[in-house]
Amino acid sequence: MPWYLYLALKQLFPSGRRIAFFTLASIGGVTLGVAVLIIVLSVMNGFGDEIRQKILETNGDVDVRSEGGIMYDQETVMAKIRGLPEVAAVAPYAQGVVMLQAGNRPSFPFIRGIDVRHEQEVVPLAKFLLIGRVDDLDDDSVFLSSELAASMAVRVGQKVDVYSPLLLERLKKDEILLPRELRVTGIFETGWNQVDSNTVICSLRLMQELYGLKSGVHGVSVRLKPGRDADEFAARLNAQFSGADRAVSWIESNRDFLFVIQLEKNMMMFIMLFIILVASFAIASSLLTAVVRKTKEIGLLGALGGKPRQVAACFCFQGFFIGVAGAVLGIGLAVLALAFRNEVTHTFARLTHSEAALLRFYQFSNLPCSYSPHDFAIITASSIIIATLAGLLPAWRAARLKSVEALRSE
Amino acid sequence: MSDFVLTGTGLRKHYRSGERAIEVLRAADITVLAGESVSIRGESGSGKTTLLNLLAGLDASEGGEVAWAGASITGLSNNALAGRRARFLGMVFQAYYLIPEIDALANVLMARRMLGRVGTTERARAAALLARVGLADRAHHLPAHLSGGERQRVAIARALMNEPRVILADEPTGNLDEHTGDAVIEVLLGAGAEQGAALVLVTHNPQHAAKCGRSLRLHEGMLQG
Repeated sequence: MPWYLYLALKQLFPSGRRIAFFTLASIGGVTLGVAVLIIVLSVMNGFGDEIRQKILETNGDVDVRSEGGIMYDQETVMAKIRGLPEVAAVAPYAQGVVMLQAGNRPSFPFIRGIDVRHEQEVVPLAKFLLIGRVDDLDDDSVFLSSELAASMAVRVGQKVDVYSPLLLERLKKDEILLPRELRVTGIFETGWNQVDSNTVICSLRLMQELYGLKSGVHGVSVRLKPGRDADEFAARLNAQFSGADRAVSWIESNRDFLFVIQLEKNMMMFIMLFIILVASFAIASSLLTAVVRKTKEIGLLGALGGKPRQVAACFCFQGFFIGVAGAVLGIGLAVLALAFRNEVTHTFARLTHSEAALLRFYQFSNLPCSYSPHDFAIITASSIIIATLAGLLPAWRAARLKSVEALRSE
Repeated sequence: MSDFVLTGTGLRKHYRSGERAIEVLRAADITVLAGESVSIRGESGSGKTTLLNLLAGLDASEGGEVAWAGASITGLSNNALAGRRARFLGMVFQAYYLIPEIDALANVLMARRMLGRVGTTERARAAALLARVGLADRAHHLPAHLSGGERQRVAIARALMNEPRVILADEPTGNLDEHTGDAVIEVLLGAGAEQGAALVLVTHNPQHAAKCGRSLRLHEGMLQG
């Protein structure tokens, strides 16, 4: 081992003595920074993965729509798509917005008409149903999302009135406006707030009737076999279509939303990096003090045959070793903290009496977490680089010291 | 080709004290034969340490020339000199300058580390040198746990580690009591002679100076025999 590496290690971890406070404080600073970064980003990754999972579960992998708005040849399209090797299931749908009224409470939910036979293979509807069974859905009934049902104070078995845009068209022609009276046969919750807050599910035939689609649908949802690339599949499908239909992957449909999630994570990483920067200033100031304190020692190294750049390397490597030790300990601390994240969250919720609120607003009792090797690599590399850079100024000062002046200094 | 292992000819150095220029060395000449021991005495501030720094190449002379084993080192860069210095010279200072974070053995080995890898042979040599200076049982003690005399003996072992041609000792007993100082000088002269290294000893002590083969006196910037 070159002498400057050896000495850098010995100055940080002296033999036969306790580790210096400077070393402990510097490594502690980097450790905390790395740990906080990994904890925050892993939890954010967990949230992101959950959201992506919910989007996938509630929409399918690829959505095929007719460029004309209404697709009348859905059986042909579905048969064509079903024949592809990547496809697990296909289901037609029609969707739109209606006015819903229960008593004197109106609402304007998003409505999706599904073919119950096929839909279950694309969206696990049975899994989402809190009350009721999938088979209960017929042409005179609807399923309401949990928050919509709560806000309209509607229970299973009660009736709701549905006004479709077609009824409004009729109203323009001075026809009598009669809403469609439907029975609520189920309440569902997907865990994704965007769906749960304002969604009605009905049969495809009912939706075709409400929207005057005749035998047409708005599109076809496609579920791919596990591990298939939705973007690639959609692109391939579009190449096969003559232009009347267009396939869009779930990633493309939610591009803006997914971008915001990624942006939030990147911003969080940027902000959290400042913790390591603060630690690096502590490292720099401590190493600078060490250079002043060890002036004569630096002079001696020159007298023994040390080159100025080797003396500089000795101090630079101290920053590097602090970075490496801090990163390793930080990863360990983060993994440990994340292993006990649910215990910590629940203890905190108990102490602050916020357990009920946590469940109500976040819809889960356990904190999601997902480790990303890419994040680990970036955090480790940045912390080591920042800590090494912190050693540069002290190293430069040490290298500039002339042995003869250093040895003569008081 | 002469047998001179170290020569300094016409060495000059001045320092500034405000507006005043103090000429510390003016045309100082010194020659040291291989294996010879030379003492240099002089009043405080007469330039003894400055002379040693010039001979060690740690400082640049304003005139004249320093040669190690016949090869001039004048004008060589710090980087170029560093490796050569580690092989050619051993230095002993008044204030010992041991590295506090490593034990006595590691301090001795530090001189060898400057030249490259340290292996079993080097460790054995360092241990033998510590034994030679009477510190076999203190090899794994940190400098803080050694007395002044012991620290200086570790510094002497370190100076001898690379089998240098010359040892430059700058008042090595300056911080020690008379008895310990005598013992340290005995070790320095004895161990140095065994290794075949020439010794240039700067000292205030006439008895220590008398133990050297040749005595010089630095007076008004010049060396006198």
